[in-house]
Amino acid sequence: MVRNVLLTGVGGQGIITASTVLAQACRLAGWQVKKSEVHGMSQRGGSVNSYVRFSADEQIASPLIPEGEAEMMLAFEPLEGLRQIRQATPDAVVLVEERRIVPVTVNMPGVTYPDDVIERLVASGRRVTVVPASATAVELGESRAANMVMLGALATQIELADEIWSEAAALVLKPRALEVNLRAFEAGRQLVPAGV
Amino acid sequence: MADTAKDRREKLLLSGNEAIAHGAWEAGVRFGSGYPGTPSSEILPALNELGEVYCEWSVNEKVALEAAAGASIAGARCLVTMKHVGVNVAADPLFTMSYTGVEGGLVIISADDPSMHSSQNEQDNRHYARASKVPMLEPSDSQEARDFTMRAFELSEQFDTPVFLRPVTRICHSDGLVEVGERAEVPLRGELQKQPEKYVMIPAYARKRRVFMAERTRALVELAEHDEINREEMGDTSLGIITSGAAYTYAKEAFPEASFLKLGLVWPLSPERIRRFAEQVDRLFVIEELDPFLTEEILAMGVAVERVDESFRIGELTPARVREMIAGEPAPDTTADEDLPPRPPTLCAGCPHRSVFTLLRKLKAYVTGDIGCYTLGTLPPLQALHTCLCMGAGINEAHGMQKVRGHEAPVVAVIGDSTFTHSGITGLVNIAYNAGVSTVVIVDNRTTAMTGGQVHPGVGETLSGMPGRALDFEALARAVGVEDVRVVDPYDMAATEAALRETMASPEPSVVIARRECVLMVRERRPAPDFDADRCTRCGACIRIGCPALWAEDDGGKRPIPRINTALCTGCLMCAQVCPVDALKAPEGAQEGNQ
Repeated sequence: MVRNVLLTGVGGQGIITASTVLAQACRLAGWQVKKSEVHGMSQRGGSVNSYVRFSADEQIASPLIPEGEAEMMLAFEPLEGLRQIRQATPDAVVLVEERRIVPVTVNMPGVTYPDDVIERLVASGRRVTVVPASATAVELGESRAANMVMLGALATQIELADEIWSEAAALVLKPRALEVNLRAFEAGRQLVPAGV
Repeated sequence: MADTAKDRREKLLLSGNEAIAHGAWEAGVRFGSGYPGTPSSEILPALNELGEVYCEWSVNEKVALEAAAGASIAGARCLVTMKHVGVNVAADPLFTMSYTGVEGGLVIISADDPSMHSSQNEQDNRHYARASKVPMLEPSDSQEARDFTMRAFELSEQFDTPVFLRPVTRICHSDGLVEVGERAEVPLRGELQKQPEKYVMIPAYARKRRVFMAERTRALVELAEHDEINREEMGDTSLGIITSGAAYTYAKEAFPEASFLKLGLVWPLSPERIRRFAEQVDRLFVIEELDPFLTEEILAMGVAVERVDESFRIGELTPARVREMIAGEPAPDTTADEDLPPRPPTLCAGCPHRSVFTLLRKLKAYVTGDIGCYTLGTLPPLQALHTCLCMGAGINEAHGMQKVRGHEAPVVAVIGDSTFTHSGITGLVNIAYNAGVSTVVIVDNRTTAMTGGQVHPGVGETLSGMPGRALDFEALARAVGVEDVRVVDPYDMAATEAALRETMASPEPSVVIARRECVLMVRERRPAPDFDADRCTRCGACIRIGCPALWAEDDGGKRPIPRINTALCTGCLMCAQVCPVDALKAPEGAQEGNQ
């Protein structure tokens, strides 16, 4: 079985770093893995999507998740989660950061950030859990570790040993930031109850 | 290598770009050159990181390819990297290098960008292979990116030709598991021999080489006939698919049971092999991104291929689009709710380009733009950039406009520092030489920002981190004959406005260098401005500079009130400088003038 994770959010949130840690963890587990995203212009504060596909037993063909087949979605920003929600399967697990990042386009007449983003995500029927990732990272004293809080939340859904996650993080993150990032990861794991 | 869990743990997780660099390194490459361009930009830094290879950011793609031509003639294996439109710049040497061939193997990376994620067009560079008669390989994942790069060096030397490798965005920027090896030490090939009949393309010699090229193509067709770089994957023969590259992965995902002819070599093709495959299947489709390149070649062989709708010629393919092409099943609707505010890329908070565009909007300039982050100046609310054609075009467009509209036309060319060195200098020479009148603004942020912050000649540091001689833009502008040359700090909006007003009014050509380091390269942040809500008249002037650190909040007042996102704010104080009533101002204790 090939499993598909869509990570979505805003350029600059550390989404590609988080997806790289996930992909390295899959490799260390001895799984097949592919990951895809777009660099360049879209990263200037624009919407960012990263696709990670992995499987313990099957070859993976496409680096893109087939449309509507993401069974797990890690939304680093609510609006971006809602924007991508139809890429998720009807019963997908959706983990969504509660903190909004308001796009500059709302300063134009007639454009507003909807008040009911989380409600709409829930109404879509997916299994939605709100994750206070930024708030948790700030409590830990490192606001930039919110991406690892999100990844820790995702780790509740993927059967990988603790030491594989920490080994993968050590491969990707700067050594001096590793300790706080691992704490952020652990905190994220505690935020999501088992079996969502 | 067998593909067990243990084997996979021992592989590397590499992007296509990193895999290309690794393949080149293993193949003993000695010389790497290129110009940054999404999605190719990470290849040369990765190669440089692996070590033992001379790597440079050349001034542009033509320079990169010509320098590599020299290194190849001198016997070294060479890798040249560029994005698809970079091949347009390098096309002049390319077409004749196909005649001269190589000594050391020479591989050109043409990184194409279907769907234009970060490009001004989605040209299909397979046409360049056919037009220049240069063989082209297309990898479909990171492992093939490494393997095909190594093979490309062999083919280059074996067939005496440059070789193209064409990855697309989804190959360059996708990661996969790659089995790698050690570097082979490949010595310089032969002596530095003078071979004018091979390297001086005067007509008498070129005509002989033209005959050689035809023989070479015939030999490559022979290779395509038998070589395992192309492969049949026979499954259910009721559906046959001829495909290559990223398109192969989508087709395989959509129709895993079908029979495939997967082409690694997309030019030249072997008609024999294609006919043989076609005969074994009931229905035959060609699945390819962008133009019907393979389709037309295969139709010309007299092989019947089923038609697909022309709409599939635009943009990237996906597994669902391939299902739609072949089975007619409509792709699932994944569009977002219509009322969601879009989140396009924007100039960063604190971006020095913002003040230039704010002022050019105020001065009602017609701005001929160029390629870089500053192209984002065209988007609302700034809407202060009005053309973007190709690298270096803006300067020449301004010149042409003012030749027909006169110097009174409020035309200003805006070009970035890296783009100026790439292909803006010749335009400036042209303006001075032809008695032009244009104002050229070089938005000099000391880096190649859009592609990730690469160094360039104006910075005076090379790709390998060595000091290089810095290009002096002011001296250069004067040397080509522009007398009115000014340098301003774009964070000082009054001085920048004065320079723009004066140069635009002047009947002489001029250069305004707006110099301030890219905010992404600056570590320290300054405090956000103080905001006095009682003074604020809610005029919206600050909001209209389009800073992502400012938003307008509806607090029940007659108009929305500005709010500052202090996490994003870098303290550039442009908003304070446009505020007409000093409701936004430098924080208490900050130095006057914000220097």
